[in-house]
Amino acid sequence: MSEFIEFSKPFVEGIQKVFETMVFTKLEPGKPIIKSDRQAKGDISAIMGLIGTVEVEGTDREFQGMFLLTWETDVYVKIASAMLMEEYTDFNDQIEDVGAEIANIVTGNAKRTLTQMGFKIEMAVPSTVTGKGHCFKYPSGTTTIMVPLSCVHGDFVMELCYQSHND
Amino acid sequence: MGLKTSMKIIVINDMGTMRKIIEKMLKTMGFTNITQADDGATALPMIKEATELGVPYEFIVSDWNMPGMSGLDLLKTLRADDQYKDLPFLMVTAEAEQGNVVIAVKAGVSNFIVKPFSAATLQEKIQKIFKA
Repeated sequence: MSEFIEFSKPFVEGIQKVFETMVFTKLEPGKPIIKSDRQAKGDISAIMGLIGTVEVEGTDREFQGMFLLTWETDVYVKIASAMLMEEYTDFNDQIEDVGAEIANIVTGNAKRTLTQMGFKIEMAVPSTVTGKGHCFKYPSGTTTIMVPLSCVHGDFVMELCYQSHND
Repeated sequence: MGLKTSMKIIVINDMGTMRKIIEKMLKTMGFTNITQADDGATALPMIKEATELGVPYEFIVSDWNMPGMSGLDLLKTLRADDQYKDLPFLMVTAEAEQGNVVIAVKAGVSNFIVKPFSAATLQEKIQKIFKA
């Protein structure tokens, strides 16, 4: 779990930075827990694949993972309204890529710290999935950690799918 | 090179969210003549056409990572053409690695801004470009 916490830290710090700078609010992370099912906790999810290599004892090993953010619709709409500096009342195509942009920025920022930790991650294009009770297909051989996040606009969840490299 | 609020600006980004945010920030700074494009491949003919029509773009704010033509490829293409070698070009990126800065500087970028950023940071970067 400590290896997992170390991997998730740059993502948590990244999303806090995004919220402070571009959503104009503080974001409080809760206690991380291991997720045992595939179902999304929210209605709208922004997903970023993480593919690359990690250096273990001088050797590059293939690495795969996934970073995602999932929101209930009302929380998503409030966050999108704050970030875009205009009021929205429902989920529509004007705000559909807000979550993906947040995921993109967070991953870009986390990448710098992860590079220092020996990870060489290729930035993928983020995607958005919507619908109540949607499920994810996590990369095989990975463990998923969930970090609850809380701000003035409501609560949502960050998930990080991680492949241990110390096996 | 002076900074005038009526200058013709093009904001290039594949994500509508970031185009909207940047346009909003530019408007709060007083800029009024802003156009959007969703990647380098779409923007390049718009930039060339504007020049041919005698109403050239005076400032480019472009994302780095985009499908089609990336911001870096757009920058290289423009800098290879004499008429765009001094066109102010601000590169926006989510990747905060030093190596990226070096690549962009070598390609002739005017300045560089890493997401997330505030309106104040954007303004500071723009002022630096136009004071240079």
